Amino acid sequence: MLNHMEFDLQCTDIVRKFDDFTAVDHVSFAIKKGSFFSILGPSGCGKTTLLRMLAGFDNPTSGEIIIKGKSMNGVAPNKRPVNMVFQHLALFPNMNVSENIAYGLHRQGINKVEIKHRVEQVLARVNLAGSGNKQITQLSGGQKQRIAIARCLVLNPDVLLLDEPLGALDLKLREHMKVELKQLQQEFETTFVYITHDQSEALVMSDQVAVMNHGQFQQVGDPQQLYYQPDNAFVAGFVGDSNKWSASVIDILPDSLKVKTTTGLILSVSKVDNKSLIIGSEVDIFIRPEAVHISQQVTANLQDNHLNIKINNILFDGANSQLLVEEQNSGEEIKVKLPQTAEFMHLQKGDKLQISFPFQQVKTFPKELEVS
Amino acid sequence: MKTIGTANARTPIKLGLLLLLCPILLWLFLLVILPQLTMLNISLQERVAPRIYEYGFSNFIAFFTEPLYWNTFLRTAIMSIIATILTLIIAFPISYYIAKMLRGRAKGLLFVLCLIPFWVSELVRTYGWMILLRESGVISTFLQYIGLVDGPIEFLYTDATIMLGLVYSSMLFMVVPLTSTLDSLDDSYIEAGYDLGGNGFSVFWHIVVPHAKPAIVSGCIVVFMLTLGNYLTPILLGGKSSLWFTEQIFTQFITRFNWQQGSAFGVLLLSISSLIVWLGLKLSRQSFSKVMS
Ligand SMILES: Nc1ncnc2c1ncn2[C@@H]1O[C@H](COP(=O)(O)OP(=O)(O)O)[C@@H](O)[C@H]1O
Ligand SMILES: [Mg+2]
Repeated sequence: MLNHMEFDLQCTDIVRKFDDFTAVDHVSFAIKKGSFFSILGPSGCGKTTLLRMLAGFDNPTSGEIIIKGKSMNGVAPNKRPVNMVFQHLALFPNMNVSENIAYGLHRQGINKVEIKHRVEQVLARVNLAGSGNKQITQLSGGQKQRIAIARCLVLNPDVLLLDEPLGALDLKLREHMKVELKQLQQEFETTFVYITHDQSEALVMSDQVAVMNHGQFQQVGDPQQLYYQPDNAFVAGFVGDSNKWSASVIDILPDSLKVKTTTGLILSVSKVDNKSLIIGSEVDIFIRPEAVHISQQVTANLQDNHLNIKINNILFDGANSQLLVEEQNSGEEIKVKLPQTAEFMHLQKGDKLQISFPFQQVKTFPKELEVS
Repeated sequence: MKTIGTANARTPIKLGLLLLLCPILLWLFLLVILPQLTMLNISLQERVAPRIYEYGFSNFIAFFTEPLYWNTFLRTAIMSIIATILTLIIAFPISYYIAKMLRGRAKGLLFVLCLIPFWVSELVRTYGWMILLRESGVISTFLQYIGLVDGPIEFLYTDATIMLGLVYSSMLFMVVPLTSTLDSLDDSYIEAGYDLGGNGFSVFWHIVVPHAKPAIVSGCIVVFMLTLGNYLTPILLGGKSSLWFTEQIFTQFITRFNWQQGSAFGVLLLSISSLIVWLGLKLSRQSFSKVMS
């Protein structure tokens, strides 16, 4: 068995069925003390259902949740050492900021002087000292966010659960809150379980990320692992931006594969461990836009993929600018990262160039059987 | 130039608004304010000789010197307050169950079931209760049949029966506002209440009640006013012993043909209902406009 002290939260084989629909399907994981754990998945994949079971609002059909070494089966939400930040925050509108934060402390029967002291302390820690008498409606989006988190953290929970709390914020504030949340987590040293459908939130903030789809965990790992070593096609497609093609194997070489995409483009790709792959096998291949090198002159490396392309479109987005290019023979469209350097400033629609990428950068996965 | 322009533009709007408000203003004036003022005027007249009247307070003095009058008056007010509180206590769990526990079709169905009795007139509903409760009625007969009692029992003509009738006929006016307000309370507030360590009582008291407060107060005001001014239910279910103040007013106007005294009673009833509503608002720290919106 795993050492209980090292983990704040352990789940073994959690299943949640609604009639004959399985929302959470045999999920197991363990979260280290004081770490930031994210569950990332498209909406409807069962994230909220899983989180509500951790909070105690819902019970697993089977499986066990262990928090700080104690089984949570049959433990009511108000008796669990976890707190939750709701999707729409659920700050009580009839109470002001202090009263909202004090609500949980009052329930623990702490005396008034102590409560006042702790409320002021936590307000200072979330940089909202002196806002205690404000009404909830007077706060900005980011301030509400911080109060919702302070309201939970003042209770010193073992685990803080967050259900897409940044979803309602505008882009700029969301970027800012990402950093702030991470800082708060490190400062309070509380274990965070954060669910989101936004891969950038998960990658920026987390120590560990679990990618979820159709109620199952696809892969659990740190952000770099997920980004550079995806376990399967879903993770490769969902985390980060990728060009994705369907292809079939036409040759198996000692350290690479030759594949042909449906439009007839022939590429060298990295080899899969999967032994069952034979010539003619269907595969999905992924290449990240930033792994593609643009050049005006030919460089000679036989194993690299060299393609002659024409620029179809320039998508300017500052540092995230991309080129949409078309391979000359097959007409396959490829997204390529456009570095904002002097070398590429003059590029225009219709220009002809060469692109290249090493075969190691092309991830290959056996084609998934369509789940119907 | 500019100011003249806006002034010109504004006048027709004001006129339009006035025209739009005309029906309601007329209605308010002709049917609410005018009768009340007339009544106040009549109540201040005292008869000095046949067909000769002078202004004076004798009608009001009569009220305070005759114990039957003000006892009835107080009894009516207190019974109405009790009926209002009972209605609230019974309606709250029902509304909570409909709004928060039920989902989908069951919810609509139960809500409509609460409304159905109110499709028939109050008179018919009250007669329904009489059929059940009278000496030779359904309940009495049933109790005799199963051998629980020896002789027939009269359930009618007691204060408890009046209370039953009043609460029953007020239910709708409490359940409807409460259900719609509780329905608008997002489940996540209740869950957050539990999540932060609250138990059933503290979630109810600190989260559900403050949210429902405007509906509670408005429901109570409506129920209280309807109960205080109710005539049919106390008379039919309470009979001669009902001692309801509206009955006194009826007697003065119709039986005694003493419009002056009747008007004085009417004015007093209006004053006490306004006073109690005002007190209720003050105690619950609600403003009238907020409650009624
Ligand atoms: N109470 C419920 N009854 C039936 N199905 C539900 C219930 N709650 C959630 N589901 C279903 O479970 C799936 C996962 O929902 P959810 O956990 O909310 O997804 P996510 O939070 O990842 O967007 C959805 O398809 C949803 O329809
Ligand atoms: Mg969700």
